Amino acid sequence: MSSVKFGKLDFASPILVASGTYGYGHETKSMVDVNGIGGIITKSVTLHPREGNPPPRIAETSSGMLNSIGLANVGVNEYCKSKLPYLNELNTKVIINIAGTAVDDYVETLKILESAGGNHVGYEVNISCPNVKEGGMSFGVSAKMTESLTSELRKCTSKLLIMKLSPNVTSIEDIAVGAENGGADALSAINTLVGMGIDIKTRKMKINTTFGGLSGPAIKPIALANVHKVFRAVKIPIIGLGGISCVEDIIEFILAGADLVQIGTLNYREPGISIRLAEELDLYCRDNNLTSISDLKGLAEYR
Amino acid sequence: MIFNELAIVESTEEIASNTFQTFLKSPKIAASIKPGQFINILPSEYWDKMMRRPMSVASQKDEVISIIYKVVGEGTELMQNWSLGDSVDLIGPLGNFWDGYADKLSILIGGGVGIAPILNLHNHLDELGEEKVLIMGARNSSEHFIDHNPENGVYMTTDDGSLGIHGNVLEPLKIALENIDIQNVKVFACGPPAMMEAVRQYSISEGIECDLALETLMACGFGICQGCTVEFEKKQKTTEHSYRNRFGLVCMDGPIFESKEIKSCHL
Repeated sequence: MSSVKFGKLDFASPILVASGTYGYGHETKSMVDVNGIGGIITKSVTLHPREGNPPPRIAETSSGMLNSIGLANVGVNEYCKSKLPYLNELNTKVIINIAGTAVDDYVETLKILESAGGNHVGYEVNISCPNVKEGGMSFGVSAKMTESLTSELRKCTSKLLIMKLSPNVTSIEDIAVGAENGGADALSAINTLVGMGIDIKTRKMKINTTFGGLSGPAIKPIALANVHKVFRAVKIPIIGLGGISCVEDIIEFILAGADLVQIGTLNYREPGISIRLAEELDLYCRDNNLTSISDLKGLAEYR
Repeated sequence: MIFNELAIVESTEEIASNTFQTFLKSPKIAASIKPGQFINILPSEYWDKMMRRPMSVASQKDEVISIIYKVVGEGTELMQNWSLGDSVDLIGPLGNFWDGYADKLSILIGGGVGIAPILNLHNHLDELGEEKVLIMGARNSSEHFIDHNPENGVYMTTDDGSLGIHGNVLEPLKIALENIDIQNVKVFACGPPAMMEAVRQYSISEGIECDLALETLMACGFGICQGCTVEFEKKQKTTEHSYRNRFGLVCMDGPIFESKEIKSCHL
């Protein structure tokens, strides 16, 4: 398999699995060789444990789904105790997604993870969860706050620092530049879009929190546009995600300016999809005489 | 051990009005699944929905399992149209299983499409020679496919009185409990939320041991999406599968829960 350079790192496959869609990497081990996945981004961890939102938390939509899980997680201390040891045994790249309410939360969470001595290669910072007040969304909509949060976190780690951007903003370019100025190594784009559904029989909202995050193939064109906007605004690498379901989608994201991609919602339906698509991507490279899929980065032509 | 297995469609038959039973050759799942567990089905490889359809297994024999479903939407319509020899992508066995039936009178209560895990438990208890009562509820006689046979502990109920006992499943449950020490009884139920909630509340008020198999929307079925939550009555200690203790995951902590353990069957 052709590896992909990403900053100082080499990824054996450019296809990672998105935070919140692959647990802590061990849930699928009897079905999937998880070490064949380019990288696993673990579910958001916060300083303190979180129960998550009351049900219903998910709803099906046309070519997509709504979710409002509410960052349910064990908290960073338990994470270091019970999740990190398994993650350390994995032979793929692990990136830990962190979320918080205030700069101090994020910094404290990251410091605890740094001192836990895991083999993880970096952090993805959730500043874009639409479902909880404490999901960092206040950071994700402000370029200034994104920049200051990024620079505070930058001081605490030399590992890969990735800021995950929200599409629920007026100008994703401004936020991207803020993260770049703050010292981020890379950007993930995009998190879910704010959506809603109503059960017409009961006339109740389909999601307990009224609004949820829309994901799946329905959002792919929006994700692609956002990745391209970010690509034109910054110089740092980009991880593209949003509704990827086939190898053609991956190639589109790379042509739009992404270096790596993440599979999200489709993992639920096909836990081994990232491995299948990596094989298909290799075939594509071979058929098109590409030494690496990276050769296509940002090559989409304007009409 | 969870498998992602391509099963082969062996047959589909309409066992009651708009109720279908499909037999699938799925050697790995058939060999390891236990009554009460479920599989998550991809109705078609061209399925443009994001979620598989979780269904409990109604029977397991040699290399073959069966599912029972009503055609209510796009997914079940695709399933009903599966042809002999089609391959179907399954994930399973998933979830926990029925337990605690040894040396007890087991009262099995099924309603609607919730009859599948009840039938599989019924078969299992037959093989073990365990004592049991079977109660099936439906709106009318066309939805039933088992004879009403109270002498042998098999009760059918209908909302319209067209077969068996006119009323809901609590009527035969009360009959079955007559002159019996409730310490030696355990109820196992699966069906529409309203039916299960009635059984749940009755079992709690009467102090009867009762397990319920819940049904809800699931994105994955194996613990990663955290979408299929049920609220616990009391905070539990943190389980391996649900990250905190107020909510359980129907897919991993369930689908079977003790009646006293959960707040409601309406998810």
